Amino acid sequence: MSKQSERRVILETRDIVKQFPRVLANNRISIKLHENEILSLLGENGAGKSTLMNILYGLYTPTSGSIHLNGEEVQFHSPKDAIEKGLGMVHQHFMLVDPLTVTENIILGAEPGKGGTIDYKQARKEVVELSEKYGLHVNPDAPVETLSVGIQQRVEILKALYRQAKILILDEPTAVLTPQEVDELFQVISELRKGGVSIIIITHKLEEVKAISDRVYILRGGEMVGERITADTTTAQLANLMVGRDVVLTVEKKEKKAGDSPVFQIEDLRVLNIKKFPAVDGLSLEVKPGEIVGIAGVDGNGQSELAEAIMGLLPVENGKISHLGEDITQLTTKQRISRSISYVPSDRQRFGLVLPMTIGENIMMGYHDRPPNSKGLRLNYSYINSHAEELSKSFDIRTPDVQNPAGKLSGGNQQKVILAREFSRDPTFLLVSQPTRGLDVGAIEYIHSQILAMRDNNVGILLISLELEEIFSLSDRILVLYEGKIVKEFKPEETTDKQVGFYMTGGKE
Amino acid sequence: MEGFFGIFNTQLLVAMVRLSTPITLAAIGAVICERSGIVNIAMEGIMIIGAFFATIGALYTGNPWVGLVTGVVAGGVFSLLHAVATVSFHLDHVVSGAVMNILAFGLTKYFMVLFFGHPGTTDQIPRNLGEMEWAIPVLSKIPVLGKVLFQQTPIVYISFVLIILFTWIMKRTKVGLHIRAAGEHPLALETIGVSVYKMRYLGVFISGLASGMAGAYLSIENNASFTEGMTNGRGFIALAANISGGWTPIGAFIAALFFGFADALQVRFQVLQVFKIPEEIFIIFPYVATIIAVAGLVRKSRPPAAVGDDFMIEQESD
Amino acid sequence: MDLKKLKPVFLAVIIVFAVVGVTLYMGTYFSGLLFILLALVLYAAFRYYYDGKEVLISLLKKGLQGLMVPVIGIVIAIIIGAVVMLISNYDPVAAYKALFYGAFVRNWHISVLNAAPLMFTGLSVALAFHAGLFNIGAEGQYYIGAMAATYLGLYVKLPPFLSLALIFILAGLLASAWNIIPAVLKVRTGAHEVITTMMFAHIARYLSPIFIRANGGDPATSTHAYVTTELPESNWLPRFNAFLPDANYRLHVGILIGIVVALLVYYLLYYTKVGFEIRAVGENKDAARAQGISIGRSILIALLIAGFLAGLAGVNQVVGLDHKLYQNLDANYGWNGISVALLAGSHPIGVIFTALLWGALDAGGQYMARVTQTSNSIVEIIKGIILFLVVAKYIYAYVGNRIRRARKKRRAEAKEAV
Repeated sequence: MSKQSERRVILETRDIVKQFPRVLANNRISIKLHENEILSLLGENGAGKSTLMNILYGLYTPTSGSIHLNGEEVQFHSPKDAIEKGLGMVHQHFMLVDPLTVTENIILGAEPGKGGTIDYKQARKEVVELSEKYGLHVNPDAPVETLSVGIQQRVEILKALYRQAKILILDEPTAVLTPQEVDELFQVISELRKGGVSIIIITHKLEEVKAISDRVYILRGGEMVGERITADTTTAQLANLMVGRDVVLTVEKKEKKAGDSPVFQIEDLRVLNIKKFPAVDGLSLEVKPGEIVGIAGVDGNGQSELAEAIMGLLPVENGKISHLGEDITQLTTKQRISRSISYVPSDRQRFGLVLPMTIGENIMMGYHDRPPNSKGLRLNYSYINSHAEELSKSFDIRTPDVQNPAGKLSGGNQQKVILAREFSRDPTFLLVSQPTRGLDVGAIEYIHSQILAMRDNNVGILLISLELEEIFSLSDRILVLYEGKIVKEFKPEETTDKQVGFYMTGGKE
Repeated sequence: MEGFFGIFNTQLLVAMVRLSTPITLAAIGAVICERSGIVNIAMEGIMIIGAFFATIGALYTGNPWVGLVTGVVAGGVFSLLHAVATVSFHLDHVVSGAVMNILAFGLTKYFMVLFFGHPGTTDQIPRNLGEMEWAIPVLSKIPVLGKVLFQQTPIVYISFVLIILFTWIMKRTKVGLHIRAAGEHPLALETIGVSVYKMRYLGVFISGLASGMAGAYLSIENNASFTEGMTNGRGFIALAANISGGWTPIGAFIAALFFGFADALQVRFQVLQVFKIPEEIFIIFPYVATIIAVAGLVRKSRPPAAVGDDFMIEQESD
Repeated sequence: MDLKKLKPVFLAVIIVFAVVGVTLYMGTYFSGLLFILLALVLYAAFRYYYDGKEVLISLLKKGLQGLMVPVIGIVIAIIIGAVVMLISNYDPVAAYKALFYGAFVRNWHISVLNAAPLMFTGLSVALAFHAGLFNIGAEGQYYIGAMAATYLGLYVKLPPFLSLALIFILAGLLASAWNIIPAVLKVRTGAHEVITTMMFAHIARYLSPIFIRANGGDPATSTHAYVTTELPESNWLPRFNAFLPDANYRLHVGILIGIVVALLVYYLLYYTKVGFEIRAVGENKDAARAQGISIGRSILIALLIAGFLAGLAGVNQVVGLDHKLYQNLDANYGWNGISVALLAGSHPIGVIFTALLWGALDAGGQYMARVTQTSNSIVEIIKGIILFLVVAKYIYAYVGNRIRRARKKRRAEAKEAV
């Protein structure tokens, strides 16, 4: 305790308020960061953490309130100001320019050299020195797009350190890492602290807060609802503060016996990605009616290529895909949809909805060219709209009018539109990818219960998710995807996330 | 057939370089503009503005060099409209470019009537830059290449210099690195404190200056007066040259040479009356060449990742 | 008396009034305006009675919102135009009086004649926009349509309406075919249609002199080297004065065909499966593809129909106005069509109005030039400004933001001073 109060306060916010046109993102938030401290900011999506950090980094200006650095009030009008004062930020979605090299990315905006030219020799030297000093090993000449996610993150950290950051802000740093890479990151963070850097970690993962931070602030609905010393609190207490009520950490899943003959089968599938590299390489699996098969894996091991190949959006090099015993490998997307194969895509705004079109139009899209949605060449809008209204009720889509554009809905409601469309087609096989990405706990609960309801109705479901929690709580069987193949199968009750994580990163027994 | 093969000589290559110059200039400008993330289909319009004001400058001062400067500057200033529309007003790049073209045609028509009392063609300028053919001492004695590359007119030489200059800027300067980042991942640039807006304004402006020079070449070096519509689609061919050239100055230059070759060939066929075909068939050579280039080569290179996408910093509001 | 049953009758009456009104007005009978007004009022009553006050109010709101930006653009452009006129020593008041009088009263028939081809090219570009495509080469399709119509018009001899129908359809199909290569290249190789259609447009431009020389414009045999022989009268588009005796003798019914085609395009885009797919592909091709919609097919259909529409513009000019093909390499129907489409926000019904506006500005400009000696190229400037202002809608948001921020700053500074 005394150790804490001896440390100086190097960064402080006082009553920060940030008002956007339709939402009050930060409501009088006051936090303190001490020297050499590792501080967590915990909260759900939409709690206001990222907004606060963007204010600290100069990307937004606060509506009111002040920021104090080493006791003095400062104003940041742009990231340039924040960087000059020693703040560095590693964003959740990396700010790396793909075709440029590691060195070019690190020096970007602070390049060494006289006049307008860049002294590449000097730059390279500095990058190598820096990476050795902090133990963040990288290849200075590699184009960033060739590096793994974990190494890319090192480049991002080096970027901040290159500008002599004394305060480092990490936004959801472990979202894209494997369990092993997370451990490595935590080691790096400890090293950085020893090197005199103070760190703020933004996260929604309770275990990580416990594992690495000294203190934690909990944000909820734009307000700061609690401050704790991490050692003195439990994940249950943190979860409670984060959500505002007692959280049921797993969903109620009923016992269900799966059918006998598989409704969906993949044999020895090989799919090339846009770079002509086999993203799916000899993959086989099967799904029986009434079971949820969860595919666990680190992002980039073939998930999106697998989903696209199943839906006919990516050609298959080799292998066979069957549905209800029939070979569908050569069928078009349209034909697959006609067989009541439904798909909830991972990027709802890009692959799931046409945002400017109405809710009704989005719901009937895909089946728009058949009765009763259309008669001959004509579309039957009175049916389309009344059908959409019915579905809005049964799928809890909160909207005043189904003729409003889908773009006006919240993320959770947009996802429900997609569910309404896909589930109402009475599928026998359902492919679901990242169904709850970016959604709040209420929406997550609802969508999980809908997926389970489909399963209870004997639909065969293939679930692809990057969230191990989701995989564990929904799946009847877990398949681990690594480098385009299924490397291990588990029953959720017979394994742990650490064990699954081991196989997710290529571990072999 | 003698006449046919007689066409392929050094003179043809010299003409190829001459005729490709306006395309080269506009295309290397487009390289920088698109690298910064802005699509510029307004080059046709900027060129016509440059051509017009170059003629005005040369006519009113009697000095073609002044004309060159006025043409370049006019192109740059006019292009700022496109910059404002796309960067600050977040207008779709292609739509803005089309509007620029329409504006340019309208403006030149208006100014034609204002300054000369009639549409069509202006008066002849007293001295044009095409008369100033300079041979570089030793190098112009090299067989074939000597005449083609080292015995040319002023703006052609300037274009050679600019190709090298632009390549150097993109590869070795801070500004070049920033421009490239602005077109690949603008948010990355903004978050380390460099203004993407500024880089894009710069990219468009440079493109405007270059296209202005391309237009000036058409009216005061390749010709001695301004005629409405004298750009004849070259702005769009330059766009194709940039794409076929893989968004690099040297690549754009080579692509422009290809189109210039088609143009030079076409003139020769017409002049020498080699085939008994209507002359218009030859005039369309460069256009057909462009279609082939865009269809065949577009796959091979990769455009800047964020080109054509709007970039907006989070809006501040109370 | 069950008024519900009378709904179709009510609607029919409105439609009759609208059709009569439009036909009269396009035929320069200004009484047509009364009929149109009546139809509008009846329609408002219709919606009020059958759908309720709320629906009517929201409809009116949407209409006003949609009109606001174009109207503001026009007003600002007029003001800037006046400034330019003053600088160039013209009298803006006299000039504008002549402009509007010439455009909408005295030479309204010329406005209508100008508007007809623009309606077709405008629809062409607008339809392509809905598919996310830029049919910038509409001018080329215009030339192909015009050449085909001339050829067919010279040699096809069938009973009048059959002949014309055949000419329209065949010439349109040929113009449509001019877009096949750009469409295929776009689908197969991703080649940008801005470049390919523009190149094809230049090619078509240069083909037209060859065509003219082959069809009567040979300097050796005719006095006019730049125009074909004239079409037989049986292949001329009927004129308004056939049933509206006071109409100008040159005013042909092409504009009515244009309006009908606009309604058909509207129906296609918003009420049919094909139109739905085109719009889905234009608004989000990834999501459309994920739902089984064929992107290549929609692009192909959109570009082919766009080619057909632009070709009809050429047909309209040949069988309606000129009855021959003149060599006119600077017709500008393509670029004007792009303006018309952009101004209308790509809405097919909006195109009807913006085409009439553009045609009116041209007609008014010519009259103004004749009567007040103000150069009519000032109209080009006004058009350019209107276009720029309407298209850069964000200007208004930008300016509004700037004003708000400046006010905020002033308030904050005032507080500190206290």
